[in-house]
Amino acid sequence: MRKKDLFLARRLTGRYASLWVSVLAILLMLVTASILLLLIGKDPLAAFRSFLQGCGMIPKAKYGGGSGQLTDLMDFLNYLAPMILASLAFITAFRAGLFNIGISGQMLLAGFTATVIVGYNKALSAAVAKPLVLLIGLAVGGLTGVLIGFLKYRFNIHEVVSTIMLNYIISYLTGFLINSNYVDMMTRNSKVCTPEARLTLTNVMIGGLKCKIPLSLVLAILIALLVSFLFRKTVLGFEIKAVGMNRRCSEYTGIRVSRTILLSMGFSGAIAGLAGVAYYMGYTNSIIPKALPGMGYDSISVALLGSGAPIGSIFAAVIVSLFQQGANYMSSSIGVAKEIASLITGILLLFAACGNYMKYLAERRIQQAADTMQPSPAPGEQEDKEVKAL
Amino acid sequence: MNKVFTDGLSFALPLLIMAIGALYSEKSGVTNLAVEGFQGVGAFFGALAATLLSPVMGNGNQLIIYIAIIAAALGGALFSCVHGLLCIRFRANQVISGVVINILSVALTAFFTSAANQAISGSASNKFVLDVSTRFSVPLLCGIPWIGGLFTNMYPFEIIIMVLVIVLWYLMNKTTFGMRLRACGENPQAVDAAGGNVTGIRWKAVMISGALSGIGGICFAYSLIGNFSPSIYQGFGYLAIAAMIFGNWKIGPTTLACLMFGLAKSGGLQLCIAAQLPSIYTDLFLMLPYVLTLLLLVFFSKKNHPPKAAGEPWDKSKR
Repeated sequence: MRKKDLFLARRLTGRYASLWVSVLAILLMLVTASILLLLIGKDPLAAFRSFLQGCGMIPKAKYGGGSGQLTDLMDFLNYLAPMILASLAFITAFRAGLFNIGISGQMLLAGFTATVIVGYNKALSAAVAKPLVLLIGLAVGGLTGVLIGFLKYRFNIHEVVSTIMLNYIISYLTGFLINSNYVDMMTRNSKVCTPEARLTLTNVMIGGLKCKIPLSLVLAILIALLVSFLFRKTVLGFEIKAVGMNRRCSEYTGIRVSRTILLSMGFSGAIAGLAGVAYYMGYTNSIIPKALPGMGYDSISVALLGSGAPIGSIFAAVIVSLFQQGANYMSSSIGVAKEIASLITGILLLFAACGNYMKYLAERRIQQAADTMQPSPAPGEQEDKEVKAL
Repeated sequence: MNKVFTDGLSFALPLLIMAIGALYSEKSGVTNLAVEGFQGVGAFFGALAATLLSPVMGNGNQLIIYIAIIAAALGGALFSCVHGLLCIRFRANQVISGVVINILSVALTAFFTSAANQAISGSASNKFVLDVSTRFSVPLLCGIPWIGGLFTNMYPFEIIIMVLVIVLWYLMNKTTFGMRLRACGENPQAVDAAGGNVTGIRWKAVMISGALSGIGGICFAYSLIGNFSPSIYQGFGYLAIAAMIFGNWKIGPTTLACLMFGLAKSGGLQLCIAAQLPSIYTDLFLMLPYVLTLLLLVFFSKKNHPPKAAGEPWDKSKR
């Protein structure tokens, strides 16, 4: 028992500590979710299997005509792409110590603007329309981000407050514009955008199966690599991290904090804008008025589960998307309310948020074990530990 | 004109009690973005109590409302323990904890509302239908020209909230507990050195915050929305936080900020009706309080004095 404890404690303080925290959070979430499912009288294993089936990870019992496992998998990837982008948006601001709670709003505004300008323009060919959509997404999201950064350093308005206010303003404003100008009378959503502008190719036949091909997934992985490069290799990335760790210290070392805040918030907004066009002009092709995408909030749990690492967030996005996207099939096959997906995401976030505490406990346990083994640890060993901690 | 004041006040007061809830938590040094979640879960417990009691005590029994308010306060306080556990015990990032709770509460209430409805009535509806609250007018005062509207058609809970606000102001500013609570948000080390229990005070503050938010939530469910459904999450909690920041973490100015939001909202709606605009224009007027907040924050944020230690987990060994 004691040895096992130490095994976990060593992992939680070792080099891959963040990874182990995420793994532990996922395990705890699975246990909690299983208990919850057992309490309402459902078989947890069957439920988890149907989540995977809904995402095309394992085959379902039967399929409708023209669709198969690949169709589900492509649908899943189509959802995954904006999720990765949105979590990258959160990470870029988070590293600078800023909380971009307004990813939903930035997604909605970018998606709406691109839909209106490009999505309804029937004259544009695909080669012009698709890059234009991306550019508009980048610009609109980026400008919103810069505005938030500006309010932060010039007027001392906390970014959490300004982003929340902007979320509601954007939601009501786009809702009004859609209802007054662009509403589809049948669906009550905005009119659909042209296939030329859409970032997902629909109804492509692969091996006799109707599939969607999400082009935005390539973009998402590209941006993940770019953000990773930014933080690992560039001066700006270093400055952003420094500001996030200690603002005053960075100021004294000569980093222009205001510029760093503006840039990181701008980047964050721009990537959120890309997520917005990938969501509204890829995953869906219309906008529900006055509804902020829940993905903006889910992306926070993805970023946290990936412990703020760009590449890690790709894997974290897969896990969170599995539950969100698989919920529909799970709900219809097992008969549990769809909301359980958000519940699971919330529980996951709950455990991921305790990551620092887990590390702290692990460190204390190792310390205790060392104390009981030998009253005073040898100097060489202690040094070794310190090097590891760094 | 009267209607502007009547509706404005019935919107402002639940908002105020939530804002004071957030204020208590932040003054003790725990950043609280979770008000939105607290009020939803509190309202859920209140509505659940009302739904369970209404067949026993008879439909339309006004006593149920008071029981619902107490249930909401207890439920909110219970749920706020999650925030306390994360922020105080587990030293998690307090902003993230707030976001976690808001996500969790929407899912929790939606999930358990359908489950409870399934168990009670057999149909998995996502809302609890609530009785209509009676309203009354204060004699004499409602006859005052111009501001008489403030005293007409009042909900009973408005009086409860007004009394609570005065009690809470006294507790915060005139008692030892209040002084220690404020000190916890500025310099917890000093409180510890003086023999106060920082962890205990923060726990109490967070639970008070949950209880007050729960009261705010059930009041909105009874007045503005008329039932309990996912539409309780309209961002009132966030608006309350904005009012608190705008009021510079003080109860007096926060009250004024809430009144302003309430009047801006009801005034905008009445203007929209008076000008006979189509109903889609109401969205533009609903946007008004948020635009107003952002603009006013631009002018007033510079002088703000947030609690110094808010957002930092307390570490006894730190100096």
